[in-house]
Amino acid sequence: VSTTITPPRLTAAELVQRHQAAVWRYLRYLGCSEPQADDLAQETFLAVLEKPFEQRCKEATAAYLRTVARNRFLAVVRKEKNGPTAGDLELAEEVWSQTAGAGTDDYLDSLDDCLADLAQRARRAIELRYRDDRSRRDIAAELEMTEEGVKTLLRRTRDALRACVERKVKGRLPTN
Amino acid sequence: MSDNRQQYEDRLLEAALREKLGGRRPPDLTERVLAATGESSPQHVELATRSRLRLRMTALIAVSTCLLVAVGSVTSMRSAWPIGNRSATQERILAQGQSLPAPQYGSDDVEYFAPGPDFKLQREVARGKEASQLIAQNNLKQVEVALTTEVQNQDRALARLYTGERHAFSLERARVPDSGLMTVTPRIVVEGEVEPAFGDYYDGEPPVYYKRWATLGLQRQKLEELDALARAAESDPEKGIELREKLTELQEAIRQDQGRGPGEGGDKHQRIVENQFLSALDNPLSTFSIDVDTASYSKTRMYLLEHRMLPPPDAVRIEELVNYFDYDYDGPADEHPFAARLETAQCPWNSKHRLVRIALKGREIEEKRPASNLVFLLDVSGSMDEPNKLPLVQKGMSMLVRQLGENDRVAIVVYAGAAGLVLPTTPGSDQPAILEAIQRLHAGGSTNGGEGLHLAYQTALDHFIAGGVNRVILCTDGDFNVGVTSPGEITRLAEENAKAGVYLSILGFGMGNHNDALLEEVSKKANGNYAFIDTPAEARKVLVEQMNGTLVTIAKDVKIQVEFNPAQVAAYRLVGYENRILAAEDFNDDTKDAGEIGAGHTVTALYEIVPVAGEKPQAAPAEGAEAATPPAVDDLRYQSTRQLTEDTNSGELLTLKLRYKNPDAQTSTLMTMPLAKSDVRFSAASRDFQFAASVAAFGMILRDSQFKGDVTLDAVQEIAESSQGEDRNGYRDEFVELVKAAKELGAR
Repeated sequence: VSTTITPPRLTAAELVQRHQAAVWRYLRYLGCSEPQADDLAQETFLAVLEKPFEQRCKEATAAYLRTVARNRFLAVVRKEKNGPTAGDLELAEEVWSQTAGAGTDDYLDSLDDCLADLAQRARRAIELRYRDDRSRRDIAAELEMTEEGVKTLLRRTRDALRACVERKVKGRLPTN
Repeated sequence: MSDNRQQYEDRLLEAALREKLGGRRPPDLTERVLAATGESSPQHVELATRSRLRLRMTALIAVSTCLLVAVGSVTSMRSAWPIGNRSATQERILAQGQSLPAPQYGSDDVEYFAPGPDFKLQREVARGKEASQLIAQNNLKQVEVALTTEVQNQDRALARLYTGERHAFSLERARVPDSGLMTVTPRIVVEGEVEPAFGDYYDGEPPVYYKRWATLGLQRQKLEELDALARAAESDPEKGIELREKLTELQEAIRQDQGRGPGEGGDKHQRIVENQFLSALDNPLSTFSIDVDTASYSKTRMYLLEHRMLPPPDAVRIEELVNYFDYDYDGPADEHPFAARLETAQCPWNSKHRLVRIALKGREIEEKRPASNLVFLLDVSGSMDEPNKLPLVQKGMSMLVRQLGENDRVAIVVYAGAAGLVLPTTPGSDQPAILEAIQRLHAGGSTNGGEGLHLAYQTALDHFIAGGVNRVILCTDGDFNVGVTSPGEITRLAEENAKAGVYLSILGFGMGNHNDALLEEVSKKANGNYAFIDTPAEARKVLVEQMNGTLVTIAKDVKIQVEFNPAQVAAYRLVGYENRILAAEDFNDDTKDAGEIGAGHTVTALYEIVPVAGEKPQAAPAEGAEAATPPAVDDLRYQSTRQLTEDTNSGELLTLKLRYKNPDAQTSTLMTMPLAKSDVRFSAASRDFQFAASVAAFGMILRDSQFKGDVTLDAVQEIAESSQGEDRNGYRDEFVELVKAAKELGAR
């Protein structure tokens, strides 16, 4: 059954509620600190609400918000000497739209599934690193490995996770 | 590059892991964002979306994809207009001590919006934070939205009216705890510092607003009364309601306050004295000049949708409201440059009366537009330095320039303290040069309109294209305040040049200092047209969609004369066209100037007619028409009255006569056609007839006309909605929005 559904125009509150998580995650991903992400996300929505735009579909709105957020971020980091360049951020956007473009919630759900499939040791290392925020040396002591080994384990696990998430996200697309 | 890519892929994953495992969830920013936009309650959010409709149209035109909108908006946010020394891309471009926007704005096709002076994000955020704190402290989740908006309107209206050079009047608002009300304290701001309200606080000449208050009959006690009321309202909600009533009265007083003298701020509108009913026996002829201006409509729209206040009655020229819309009239099939059609039906605001519509449609240009020699005459005085003025002028000009080709010529003359040619005549194919010159404009200084006008006409004459379009396009907020100031002299200059073949288009911008009366007068005399540009969408309508109509005149000195048949018509009244009325003898006088019609233009005029009851011309007026029918004039002692001819029995209501001249002709051509009586009900009239009637009725309500009869805004809305037709450009839909806005603002 194919019907054309015109998406309802969102009110300001709905717009913010629906997209704020993704915008905030995106800003964090670009390299913002948490308070900075809060501020820039707010600025992004203010700017977008200031000039009404055509809401075509969820994806297009999300892409628009990302563009605004990215430019806000760029304006901030431009003054920094070693900050990312506009080219870097374009690349960042490319990466994001390919993997998380369909929605950050999809991405996170896929990640959940992939984490469950991890081997015991790899999962432990990942948890120590990203849940408990432990240093590589701590993790090495805990798992009785060398620091170099931890580094390699983490990298391999991340590679595996990334591949797994990519697969799952792609798998989700047709059904959703 | 691939290293960087890897890095971002990693970062994405790491951020996700931190969130999934470490619980670093994104915060809920809804409250924060809404507080900063001032949208603290859900109702208010809806208010904001309503007014978006029009802006959405702007966006629709502006772009073809969402992403383009994104680019457009983003560039605008980053300050397309030079503020300080930063340009849009943060690159500094300095030329003769001026910082300029980046050159790509001259060539890109993306709409951008120059941010307003109030677009200071940091300040907004700070204010938002403050507001949300206030809400938190007082536990005031709900603030009465209606009152807030109303107070904001008052505030804006007052600030606009009373902004002198150094002084500004404002109303300070504060929330009253637990009451859902706002208090309002009038304050005077002197160069950024808040002075205590309404004490003996100044020496010497009282500031402008004070004089204004005096003319409004609001003496100091009255202000003090307001002030006391505002203080009392802090603890007593009842007082708040009283205050609100007082402020409504005040707004009404301001609305009625018209026609300021020179040197005083505010918009200037010429007083309109409505056409009265005239007896067909004593005044069988009605003569007027056509008017294709549309300024009054966009101005009314700006009042209603942007400033959210009712327009002053004299800003509403009904014929301009009606003529704003495109009607689906048939074009000419004969040798005449335009076609005329007549239609009659019941009058929607008085069921005993009939309404007659005269509809003209100018020929469309089928072949190529004739070569154009355009001189832009731009007001770059200090008052133009507002986001809805000069930046909008530049945008509109850029739109127009993009339509031009190698046969066209463009020159730009600016005037401020002194007039100057900033772009000598340049072929239309050299777009980069023209667009760059447009982008380089900046505002500053006072206005010397007269000198600029001289220079512009001289430039146009120097490059005159015989058989082409020769036109000066004046863009201004309308105050010629230095040099040749007298309206008489300016109109004379315009009139002389019109005779030499150089016509004038006037584009009005901005509010607060707008000399509508002068611009309307000049355009009337100068074989010109006058539009008011309030939005980029309006600029597009006038300069792109209706470019041919704006630029190419197909007939000039178009006059209409209607002879009414006293056997059928007891009395008649021309709706609108008040300042276009001509004497009956001017109709055949080819030296008397009248309005022009552009390619594809439609012109509509409406007559309200009181039919004769029974068939005898001398019979008593129809029942219910007594009030409308003027008293008969005494018979003359030295002359006998005209005899009725046999044609009175023809069953015709009236005969329409039209005179026009071809653009380069000196003698006029006559067209004649009769209109037979008919009993068509209003609902059976053509769609365009119904729509035009609803627009006229709306104008009468806004003008609070004595002739508006029993029409209501609800009825106007109903008629307009049912007669919208295809409405390709959404203009009719927008009209319905205007009607709704007027309803909310309490027009009756």
